[in-house]
Amino acid sequence: MRRLLPLLLLLLGTALPAFAQSTSAPTQAFPYTLKTDTLPNGLTVVRVPYPSQGIVSYVTVVRVGSRNEVEPGKTGFAHFFEHMMFKGTKRHPEGERERILGAFGFDDNAFTTDDITLYYSYGPSAGLPQLIDIEADRFRNLEYSEPSFRTEALAVLGEYHKNAAAPFLKMEETLNAAAFTKHTYRHTTLGFYEDIKAMPEAYQYSRDFFQRWYTPDNTQLFIVGDFDDDQVMKLVREHYGPWDRKTSTITVPTEPPQTQPRNAHVDWPQPTQPRQVLAWHTPAAAANTNSSALQTVLVAYLVGPTSPAYKQLVLEQQLVESISSDYVDHRDPHLFTLTATLKDERHRDRVRLALLREVSKVAAGKVDAARVKAIQDNARYGALMALQTPRDVGIQLGWYAGILGTPDGLQRHLAHLAKVTPAQLSEFTKRYLQASKLTQLSLTPKVDSAGGTK
Amino acid sequence: MKTQTLVSLTALLSLAGCASHPKPAPETTPPPAQQATATPSPEAPPAPPSEVPAIPLHQPKPMELVVLARPDTPIVTFRLVFHSGSIDDPKGKEGLTALTATLMAEGGTQKLSSAQLLDALFPMAAELDTFVDKEFTTFSGRVHRDFLPRYLDIFTDILLAPRMDPAELERLRTNAISDVENGLRSANDEGLGKAALDALIYAGHPYAHYTGGTVQGLKSITLDDVKAHAQRVFTQDRLVVGLAGAVDDALKQSLLARVGTLPATGAPRVTLPTVTATAGRAVIIQKQALSTAVSMGYVNPVRRGDPDFFPLAFALTHLGEHRQSIGLLFNELREQRGLNYGDYAYAEHFIEDPGTTYNRTNIARTQQDLTVWLRPVEPSNAMFATRGALYFLDRLVKEPIPQERFDLMRGFLQGYSRLWEQTDPRRLGYAIDSLFYGTPDYLEQYRQALTKMTPQSVQDVLRRRLHPSALNFAFVTQDAETLANALRSGQPSPITYASDKSQALLDVDKSIIPFLVPVRADAITITPAQTFMEK
Repeated sequence: MRRLLPLLLLLLGTALPAFAQSTSAPTQAFPYTLKTDTLPNGLTVVRVPYPSQGIVSYVTVVRVGSRNEVEPGKTGFAHFFEHMMFKGTKRHPEGERERILGAFGFDDNAFTTDDITLYYSYGPSAGLPQLIDIEADRFRNLEYSEPSFRTEALAVLGEYHKNAAAPFLKMEETLNAAAFTKHTYRHTTLGFYEDIKAMPEAYQYSRDFFQRWYTPDNTQLFIVGDFDDDQVMKLVREHYGPWDRKTSTITVPTEPPQTQPRNAHVDWPQPTQPRQVLAWHTPAAAANTNSSALQTVLVAYLVGPTSPAYKQLVLEQQLVESISSDYVDHRDPHLFTLTATLKDERHRDRVRLALLREVSKVAAGKVDAARVKAIQDNARYGALMALQTPRDVGIQLGWYAGILGTPDGLQRHLAHLAKVTPAQLSEFTKRYLQASKLTQLSLTPKVDSAGGTK
Repeated sequence: MKTQTLVSLTALLSLAGCASHPKPAPETTPPPAQQATATPSPEAPPAPPSEVPAIPLHQPKPMELVVLARPDTPIVTFRLVFHSGSIDDPKGKEGLTALTATLMAEGGTQKLSSAQLLDALFPMAAELDTFVDKEFTTFSGRVHRDFLPRYLDIFTDILLAPRMDPAELERLRTNAISDVENGLRSANDEGLGKAALDALIYAGHPYAHYTGGTVQGLKSITLDDVKAHAQRVFTQDRLVVGLAGAVDDALKQSLLARVGTLPATGAPRVTLPTVTATAGRAVIIQKQALSTAVSMGYVNPVRRGDPDFFPLAFALTHLGEHRQSIGLLFNELREQRGLNYGDYAYAEHFIEDPGTTYNRTNIARTQQDLTVWLRPVEPSNAMFATRGALYFLDRLVKEPIPQERFDLMRGFLQGYSRLWEQTDPRRLGYAIDSLFYGTPDYLEQYRQALTKMTPQSVQDVLRRRLHPSALNFAFVTQDAETLANALRSGQPSPITYASDKSQALLDVDKSIIPFLVPVRADAITITPAQTFMEK
C-alpha cells in the first residue's frame, strides 16, 4: 500500500514518450541499429545488435535520482535505494541473484546520479533467459528485510567516508548549497551526511520510494550485443509484461533566478592544491533543444586542451595544474562550471580573471569557427572511439535516454552536437554566463605547521 | 566534483558507480565435515618460503611484433611495451622513468610543441597515453583510420624525436610532485595504503618506491637526466610492438621501420635482488581520515606460468575478485556485517584499468605480490575487519572450498574472464604479457585449467602456496597510536551491530574477535603521511 507524504502529487500517465515500435538505422555518428518497442505497461525496450561473440550488456535506466528527494531528511535515498535493489525478492531471496548470475560470470553493478539510476549486467548471452527473469522480478517485486536494510546503510556510509578523503565531495556539497536555495540539486547524489547517518531508520520510506519510482513507464531497458531478438522479446514481454505500477509525479521546487553574484569558500584541512570554481546557472538538457550539445561544446571551447586558456594558464604561464569543467547534463536547470586547480594561492585572481576574459570574448561574439569545427570532429570521432564493447554502448545509450527521457537520446545529442554554430555559442554565453548568475567557490588548504592535522 | 568530457564512458562510470549486492547463502558456520566431502589434512601447512628469488621473466626478441588485425573496425590500436619501468630509476632520482615517459607523451615533438601536439590530436579524438609501472612502460594509442598517416607520424615522433622542452619538464615535474604531496599523501587513503604496503614488503628493493617518484627524487632530475634516460631504457631490445584493429601490412612495415631507428640497446638490465621474506610487519600511515584503510600482503613466488598460479588465482577470486559482489570477503564483511564499502583479494599485483573493474595489462612483475584490500572501515572496527579478512584467508588454507561454491566460482570465472578481453587494447595487452610470462593463450589456458580443478586439488595448492602467516600490513588512519597499541596487545576486538544478526554469523564472530593478527609487536612503524615518499 503506497503511503503518500503531503508533498507528493500522484498523477497517472506515462513519464516517457511511447515508441510503440521503431527501428533506427545506423548513421555515421552512431553505426548501430536500434530496435525500440514500448510494452502496453509503458516499459521501453531497446535492442542493439552488436558483434560481440556471445556477450551481451543489459542496461536498465530509471528516471530517478537525488533530484527526486524532496522530503526533508531523506536526501541520498535514490543512491541508497540503488543498493537495496540487489537485495532480492520472495522468489529470488537475498543471495540467489549472486548464484544465478554469478554462475555465468556477469559483471553486475549500478550507479546513481542527480537524475537517473542505471543498472547494468554484462556477460555471456547464454545467461539472458535467467537474467531477464531475475531482473523483471526485482523491478516488480523487490523485497528485503529491515536488518538487511540497516546493514546496507552502513555500506553507504562507508562509501561516503571513502569519497570524503578527497576535497571534491566537499567542494560539490558547498557549491550546490550556495548555488541552489530551493531546488533539490542543493544536495549531492550521496545526500547530506546527517541524512546518510539517519538512513537505517527509514525502512518504510524505502518501500514507498520503490512503489513511486520503480515503475515501467519510468524505466527504459537497453539490450546490446549478440542475441536472438525474437527470443529475447518473447522473454521480456512474458516477464516484464505484468509489471503494472504507474510513476508518481512530485513537484520539485523551482530554483528562483539568481540575481546577484554569490561566493562560497572551503578551508580544506589537509595538503591539497588551491581550487577556483566559476559556476553559472544554465538551462536543462532536453531532447528537443540543443542545450546539452551547446554546453558540451562550450566546455571544450573554453577549457579544452586546445583552448587559449589551457595554452596560457597550463602550458605557457604554468599557473595552474589543470583547468576543466564539471558540467554534467541534468534534467532541470543546473550549473555550467569552470574549475582551475591552482599551483599557488597567489595566482587565484589572475587565473579567475583570465577565465572570465575568455567567457567575455565568446559573449562578445569572438568565436573561432575553426575551433568549433575541431570540437565537433572530436565529438563525432570520440563517440565512435568510446563504443568499444556492448557495455559501453549500453551505458551511453542508457545515460542519454535517462537524462533526455527518450530512448534515442544519444543519437539526438550527437545530431545536436554536429549542428552547433559559433553564433549559438556566443548567444548562449551572453545570455546565461552573466555575472548575476555566477557563484564562485574557492578552496584553500589550511594545515598546521607540521603539514597535516592531528 | 563530477567530471564528464564529451561522451566519455570513463567519466560516466566515475560518476557514482557503486554496487550493492545480495549475500550468498551463509557458508560460514557449519563444521568442515558438512562443508566438503574431503577431510582437512591434520598436518600443519608448510612454512612460507624464507626468500623469493628473482627468476627473470622471458625476454622476447627485440621489437617482437604482435598483431591482432580484424576487418570489422575502423579503429587502429597501437601498444608499444618496453621492459623498462621504475626499477630503472637511478637511486636519488626516483620518478625518472615516469617523468621521462610523460614528457615524451605530452611534451611535444621536434616538429610540434606540446600545444601543437594537442591541436593535432584533438580533431581526430585520437588517444596517446603512457603508463609506467615497476618493470614496464606502455605507450598506447588509438586512432580512426581516417587519420592514420598523420597519427603514425606523431605517435612515432614522441619516441624518436621528443621535444624535451625544459618548460614542459618543469610543468610535468611540478605535477608529479603534487601527485605525491597532494594526491597520494592527502586525497587517496586507499591508494596510500597500497603504496605503503608496496614500500613495506619490497623494502630495499627497486620496487619499493612509488612509481611516480619521491619528492626529492623528482626535484633532483635535470633535463639531461631525462634525455639520457630515454636513450638508456626506451630501446629496441626492450620493446614489444603491438598493433590491433584496422591493420594492414603497410602499417606493420612502416611502424617497424620507424621504431627500428630507436637505439638498439641501452642501459644494462637491472638485476632484481632476492626478497628476503619478513613476515609480521605493520606500517601505520597517520593522517586526518574519517576511516581506516587496510592493505595486507606478501611477496609471492607464484606468478603466471607457475603450475600453481591458476588454482591460487581461482581461490583469491573466490575470496574477493576486484569490485565483484560475488567475493566471499565482500559478502561477509560488507554485505552481512556492514563494515565498509568493499573487500577484495588479489593473487597478483592489481591496478584497476580505468573505466573497468579489471586489472591493467602490461604490469607484469618478476616478483609478484599477493594482497588483500579492505576499503576504509570505521576506526573502531578496523581491527575486527582485519581479523575477519584473516579468518577467511586462514580457512582457505585449512578447508577445501565447498563443492557448490566451487562450481559457482568456476562458472563465474569462465564467463567473467571473457570480459577481460573484449577490447583491442586489452587483447593486445594479454598477448604481450604472455610473451614475458611464457604463457601463450593465457586466458584460454586459464579457462581450460578451471575445467580440471577440484576443491581438493585447489586446496592442496593453497596448503602449500598460500601463507597467511607471511602477511605484512599497511594501515592509513588518524589515531595511529591507538591502532598500534591494539596490534601490540593482541586484545580481542569485540563488535556490536546496529541490526539483528543470525546466530550463525555471531558464531563466526566468536572466532574472528580473538583471531591472531600476525604482527610482531616490535615491527610496527608509525609514519606521518607528510613524510611518505619524501626521498
